[in-house]
Amino acid sequence: MTKDSLQKLEKLYQLCLTEEEKEGVIAFFAKQDDEFAALENIDTANVERMVHVMPILTVVREDVEKKLFTREELQRNAPETMDGYWQVPRLVE
Amino acid sequence: MKLYVSQSSAAAGCVAVDDMILTTDQPTAAGSKMLDGYMSLFGAEVVEKIKAAGYEVGGKVNVGEFSIDMLGETSFYGECADESGKLAGAVAEVVKADGVKACLTLDVNGMPRRAAAIAKTVFLKPTYGTVSRYGTIPVACSGETVGVMANTTANLRDVLEAVIGHDDKDGTSLSDEKCALLKRDSDFKAVKKIAVIKAMTDKVDGAVAADIDAFKAVAEKNGIEVCEIDGSELLAAKAAWNVLMSAELCNNVSRYDGVKYGYRTPNYTNIDELYTNSRTEAFGMLLKSAILYGSQSLLYTEKNRGAYDKSLRVRRVVYDYMAKLFEEYDALLMPVCSKAAYTKADTDSNVTLSFEENVYTAPASITGLPAVVVNGVQLVGKAFSDSALLAVAEICEKEGK
Repeated sequence: MTKDSLQKLEKLYQLCLTEEEKEGVIAFFAKQDDEFAALENIDTANVERMVHVMPILTVVREDVEKKLFTREELQRNAPETMDGYWQVPRLVE
Repeated sequence: MKLYVSQSSAAAGCVAVDDMILTTDQPTAAGSKMLDGYMSLFGAEVVEKIKAAGYEVGGKVNVGEFSIDMLGETSFYGECADESGKLAGAVAEVVKADGVKACLTLDVNGMPRRAAAIAKTVFLKPTYGTVSRYGTIPVACSGETVGVMANTTANLRDVLEAVIGHDDKDGTSLSDEKCALLKRDSDFKAVKKIAVIKAMTDKVDGAVAADIDAFKAVAEKNGIEVCEIDGSELLAAKAAWNVLMSAELCNNVSRYDGVKYGYRTPNYTNIDELYTNSRTEAFGMLLKSAILYGSQSLLYTEKNRGAYDKSLRVRRVVYDYMAKLFEEYDALLMPVCSKAAYTKADTDSNVTLSFEENVYTAPASITGLPAVVVNGVQLVGKAFSDSALLAVAEICEKEGK
């Protein structure tokens, strides 16, 4: 992991690290990558992926409209609202 | 000692819940500046269940940011440590010192197990799917489980039996019939033969080794055969779990952007700055490291040939290996952590220590198998053997060790 490639990940996940933090993360990646490399010795060519640890089927429910919360309730934790809308900076000039 | 983030009533007899579990009358912040003051519109299913069983929810217990750290040291509200700087998970301290009946706590990366081992309380990470995760703050959904911690196994069982059961609102919830296997009166085969995982016990300090020896002596005295096996195959669980946990985490925390709820930076001139600065200012270093590691694991590049995909396959290898061991043994004995105590200095000098120490907790996390922590050691059993594992904890209690 280089600082350049780390910067791409930062952009992708909307984070901005200081130089010192970048060095810490690069060292963390190196440690993790070393340990992960040991897994290459495990032959998984014919092993199925295990996404769920229990045999769980996709759960479906009736497609019935259900009003759970009011607009006011949904905006109760909002950092900024205006006239019942979430407020954000202008997106289109 | 920062035990509670908020508290609604006197602790005695109440069931406390950790700060990862949503409540409507007290804020839930997951130990993060991002969610400081967040008031949920609905309560977690486990909270509804303990209320229905007649228990009062005593308070919200302090946890580290999104509960992926060692012992809560990354909490926005401050760590739980004594004057010497020795870390104590607040979930265990509340149980030990505050008279609560039990504490419900989300086991994401082994924190409750480490806290229980250090404080010598009893903890069960139940079989995955037997306790609803509806209304818990999602981090690593494929392995995290709401667990129960208490001072006594009897209290633990009381609260466990109140929270198990099928929940339609949780897509990974198992049937009531399966969940009932965890009850006291379940006739699940008793633990008669335990395998000690030498590849793990070899690397612990003297105090942890003494806990393991004491447990072995109690088990053998009570007619449980204890054998030693190498078990180094289980060490693969850590690297795979670190990938899966981080990958799921980076997706789950991508929702926190400072728009609809949560922390919003005052430092922005456009939407990109709002997103980036909100997340950068609110998240701590361990979480940022995990987000970035998880995002890298999900990429498919020439160098990184599908780390996520490989980890899902290694999960099955580990699961199959454990299933094979359970043909011969009823439970596996492992340490919970390598040392009997950690200080703030340990985690300050190594922010990502929990990604190393989880070598002991990852096998049960990645497979969803039940794990009981008692007298500082961990017993992992086959799926639905929770009650049988707790019966061993009861033996330890009776022996007073």
